[in-house]
Amino acid sequence: MRVTMRIRRFNPEKDQKPYWADYTLDQVEPNDRVLELLHRVKWEQDGTLSFRRSCAHGVCGSDGMRINGVNRLACKVLVNALDSGDHVKIQIEPMLGLHVIKDLIVDMEPFFEHYRSVMPYFVNDDPLPEDGRERLQSPANRAQFDDTTKCILCACCTTSCPSFWANGDYVGPAAIVQAHRFIYDSRDNAAAERLKVLREPDGVWRCRTIFNCTSACPREIEVTRAIAEVKAAMRRGVKHPDPE
Amino acid sequence: MATLVTTVTETLRYRGKIGQWSWVLHRVTGLGTVLFLVLHIIDTSWAAFYPDLYAEAIAEYQSPLFTLGEFALIACVVYHAFNGLRVTLLDYKPEWWAYQQRAAAIVFGATTIVLIPTFGFMLSHVADFYGEDPDLVSVGDIIETQSQFVIGFVAIIAAALILSALYGLVSRSRSGFVLPGRLEAAMWLFMRLSGVLILPLVFGHLGMMHVIQGVFDITGGGIEVVGTDIVNDSGKAVEFVGARWDMLVAGVAIWRVYDALLLALVVIHGFNGLRTVINDYALQPLINRALNWAVVFGAIALIVLGTAALLEGVDETAYDIAVDINETTASAAY
Repeated sequence: MRVTMRIRRFNPEKDQKPYWADYTLDQVEPNDRVLELLHRVKWEQDGTLSFRRSCAHGVCGSDGMRINGVNRLACKVLVNALDSGDHVKIQIEPMLGLHVIKDLIVDMEPFFEHYRSVMPYFVNDDPLPEDGRERLQSPANRAQFDDTTKCILCACCTTSCPSFWANGDYVGPAAIVQAHRFIYDSRDNAAAERLKVLREPDGVWRCRTIFNCTSACPREIEVTRAIAEVKAAMRRGVKHPDPE
Repeated sequence: MATLVTTVTETLRYRGKIGQWSWVLHRVTGLGTVLFLVLHIIDTSWAAFYPDLYAEAIAEYQSPLFTLGEFALIACVVYHAFNGLRVTLLDYKPEWWAYQQRAAAIVFGATTIVLIPTFGFMLSHVADFYGEDPDLVSVGDIIETQSQFVIGFVAIIAAALILSALYGLVSRSRSGFVLPGRLEAAMWLFMRLSGVLILPLVFGHLGMMHVIQGVFDITGGGIEVVGTDIVNDSGKAVEFVGARWDMLVAGVAIWRVYDALLLALVVIHGFNGLRTVINDYALQPLINRALNWAVVFGAIALIVLGTAALLEGVDETAYDIAVDINETTASAAY
């Protein structure tokens, strides 16, 4: 099959503003991944095309971009999931809401700054258990935050959020997912501090329950649900199924 | 961060699912309802304070332009109510998220189901009215009256901008308007609670004033006023309002209590919604402060005005003035 790639290009050293460029590829297999097509454009047609990718297998989260109008990982989308037929058109542009450095590469620093603001690490200064080994947790308590451990920080959710587009100071879905992962961990002791950060005007109340984040997540994390659970934690505290 | 224009255009360009469009419609319908709310509270207060102006306002509400607006308003309120319920349910039952798309579709369906018979009744009022070959207010007159509201809004915002600029100079503040402490969480809660409380109140209000009797019946002489056992003898709009506010059940003016509750809940709900939209898009500190001040001022002013009108009621003198003025204009016309 033939595929026309319509890619949003921008080189700040040369271009006044971003523009669309078309690249046509032949002999594309329906089960090729979009990342492979980007590689073919870069390797066969225009070496200046810039994008991030590392593992290329949906684990590292570096090739998040907007494909046919929706945020996804280029390495996890097959051509046949987008369209079928002899001639397929695919539109690719950078994620919105973060500054474009070049072509499909955006400045992820503001995103990581929000990530760091919710203390995305385990906090527990209590003495270790007597056997000096791990802090045990019941399966039910572990299950509470299982879903939010899956995040790979690709920013697909945060840059699909109209609240984040409007206001880059909004901490964003990804940071709230990370906060949820620790707030609902029965072994962690810093839930109150994280909730304090998220209680600020640019915290969790900027979520408008739009669900774009949930549909954008390549890891199928129930993002909007996690945000609602953090809001609930703010209203009535965190409860765990089993006492520890 | 994207600019305001990009945010708006990209919101329309991003291929979000039904949740995104529900949110866009929730905003649009909310803003539309707030706009009418402001006009409606000011106009209705005239029944107590400026009966002659009230008669003019009702005459304008009976014109084709406002009839179209009335249909749009009802659609806005019904959609906003149902979608608000959906959002509230998902806020309190996060584990139901998987049904959100279906819920959004049900909201559209339920809105349509409610609107079809409602529009049917409203159309029958319209048909009755035009069957009697009515006098209509000209579009020019409507623009002339309504432009005063626009001038008023612009003046309030301009004043707020000047005050905000002065405040910025004096305090050297670089931040916008921020609600203190936990008030943001309290307002979030209030939006859900008030939304649920408003639902029966506003549906009752719409049912009485748009379905059972329409805006055309306000000036219907000899008609028993909806929700009362009082007949509007004169067919004057102020007598209609007076009848409702003076209707006593066990010594209580029930419709004044009803209107007072609706006034307080709807104004705070609507203006807090407005504040939410402002804080999403007007981020420049000076402008953000000014618009927020205008919102706080507007909410307080409307509640004070509405409460004053409810306490004052339509008194005899006001009613007499209305009759006098109508007779004077009527005799002047011939």
